[in-house]
Amino acid sequence: MKLSIYKILFLTPLLLVVLFCREAWALQTHGGVEGVVVHQLAHIQYLGALGYLFWDIRRSSFVGVGWLYLQRFCLLMMAWNGIAFIGHFAQMTLGEGAISTEDGYLSALLLLPVTFGKWVYYITALDHLVCVPALFFLYLAMRSFYRSLDKEKREED
Amino acid sequence: MSGISLFPAILLDILGSAAMSVFALLALHYARLLSKRQPNNFVWGYLYYVTFAIAAFAISRAVGHLVKQFLLIAGREDIWGTISPYSGGFNTLFIISVAAVMIFYHKGVQAYEALEHEAVKLKTANRNLGTAARQLRDLNQTLEQKVEARTEELSRSEKKFRHLFLASKDMVFFSDAGKRLVDMNDSGCEMLGYSREETTCLHLVDIFSDPKEVQTYSAMLVQDGYIKDMNLVLVRKDGTVISVLLSATAIFGEGGEMLGSEVIAKDLTKLKIMMEQLATSEKMASVGQMAAGVAHEINTPLGIILGYTQLMLDEFEEGSEQHQSLQVIERQTKASRKIVADLLKFSRQSGSTREEVSLNEVVADVVAVIEHTLELGHIALHLDLEKGLPTITGDPEKLRQVFVNLINNAHYAMQGTDGGELTLRTRLKGGDRPVAVEVQDTGHGVPEKNQARIFDPFFTTKPVGQGTGLGLSVSYGIVHEHGGTIEVESPVQDPRRGPLPGTLFRIKLPLSGESGLETVDQAEEAI
Repeated sequence: MKLSIYKILFLTPLLLVVLFCREAWALQTHGGVEGVVVHQLAHIQYLGALGYLFWDIRRSSFVGVGWLYLQRFCLLMMAWNGIAFIGHFAQMTLGEGAISTEDGYLSALLLLPVTFGKWVYYITALDHLVCVPALFFLYLAMRSFYRSLDKEKREED
Repeated sequence: MSGISLFPAILLDILGSAAMSVFALLALHYARLLSKRQPNNFVWGYLYYVTFAIAAFAISRAVGHLVKQFLLIAGREDIWGTISPYSGGFNTLFIISVAAVMIFYHKGVQAYEALEHEAVKLKTANRNLGTAARQLRDLNQTLEQKVEARTEELSRSEKKFRHLFLASKDMVFFSDAGKRLVDMNDSGCEMLGYSREETTCLHLVDIFSDPKEVQTYSAMLVQDGYIKDMNLVLVRKDGTVISVLLSATAIFGEGGEMLGSEVIAKDLTKLKIMMEQLATSEKMASVGQMAAGVAHEINTPLGIILGYTQLMLDEFEEGSEQHQSLQVIERQTKASRKIVADLLKFSRQSGSTREEVSLNEVVADVVAVIEHTLELGHIALHLDLEKGLPTITGDPEKLRQVFVNLINNAHYAMQGTDGGELTLRTRLKGGDRPVAVEVQDTGHGVPEKNQARIFDPFFTTKPVGQGTGLGLSVSYGIVHEHGGTIEVESPVQDPRRGPLPGTLFRIKLPLSGESGLETVDQAEEAI
């Protein structure tokens, strides 16, 4: 494939930044807890986006069980985002000796005494109890939309 | 050491991650199908991208969790420590992507709603249009069915009336406002002797014998709108006339103007002839009775006159003036008696014999006697006698007299025509009087006005002194005495050659043993 002059002009600086970023003193460093902060912000954004979607679906005059499933997906996923958000903080607040893996990882224990922070951590670690049903409702919503097309077609015929 | 086991959380994390992946992929599958099914639907496209982002996040997260769990179970915390930032980074990236895609939803949905609104309007309009089209189609089908039914009904009606028009034995025709014939049925054509094509060139003036009748016809139609039972005489193509009873109805247009007329005419010619014959028969019967009475009354004095004249003849010398005068009286008295005898024959009061008679023989006898006379008059004689003709019961002498009378008349009619043809024909036909004898000549014929009178006693067209006018009367009486009928036809209607000049007398007689003579016997006994 023949590279055009524009592609070369665009890709060359990008490649230099990626390969020699440490030498580029002008760039800001992102160390410490920045990753967790970004992740938590992402959860908030995700929660806000889901809330907006939920509100907009209810506001719109869409009919059909598919939209109902999608609303449930939004609610559960919003709940999961909240749980995950809290869970990340709970994990951060756990001390070094809060969990023991002396008998192996599968026999890991949340050591006593069980504080509020530990309980929150433990409960939020079970977040799949919320996000799996959420995705199940997403699946049901998509399937319902798809099947509604067949019904519409039959009605039109 | 004591604490709460984290095993349930680890197990749930593994199973939940796997389940998340499965549901995410299934949701993505249906979202993709939706998008492919309706590529132009914005909502499906949006949901596909959202689902794609969610699935990417879910799988990324699930894979990260599973890898973490399996590495930690395997005691490779070091590897997980290296991978963990990348896994978390991807998760964060996908969460942001999902949120970003969802945010774009608002504008898209607004656009979609606007489109959907228009689409719904279009769909509604389309549905209404479809309903209207269906209604129109139903209406059209109903209309077509109605038109078809009406057309069929009309066709049946047209066929029925067409058949009535064509099959009618009466004359049916239509004329336009100009009194020109538009259409005439076959019976009408046959009655007038024209072909159907010829009738379309005819005018009422052409077929009405009296042009004044056309004016009367038009005036009545304009005044009343119809004509009922109008006696008319129509002229045939060959010039002969027929009597008809005509009924007509005027055809008016929407503006009230007369467009023409529809006419039905019944041929009354035969009925008229029959009526005339009936009237003649009645007249003849009354004349016969009168003649019989007169004959009886005159016969006696004539006998006395003749007797005394003959006695006186003996008194005077032969050759004397008185003797000659008495001879004149005697001759004239005998002539008078002859006339009286003829009158008695006409009135059937003369004597009669009864025996089996072969008409062929009677005709042959007459021909033998009269043949020479005909030859002198250059008249060709044609004998057409039916073989095996059955006998009749009658008086051969009187029948001979009938045929002599008819042949004499024919001879007279052909005098001055430089010859002519005389045909004597016997036939066996159907009916009550199956034996027919026809005497046909090619003479000057009998005018129609005289045809009803020729059998009247003393009616003659011969010059004074050449005929008494009793020949046909006597023949009429003899034929009726035999239970037969006598008809005259002039001109002669030949079925093959059409009308021929001349006259045809047709005598029809019953077979032996059938009706006729009994009546005569009874009549004779009564007298």
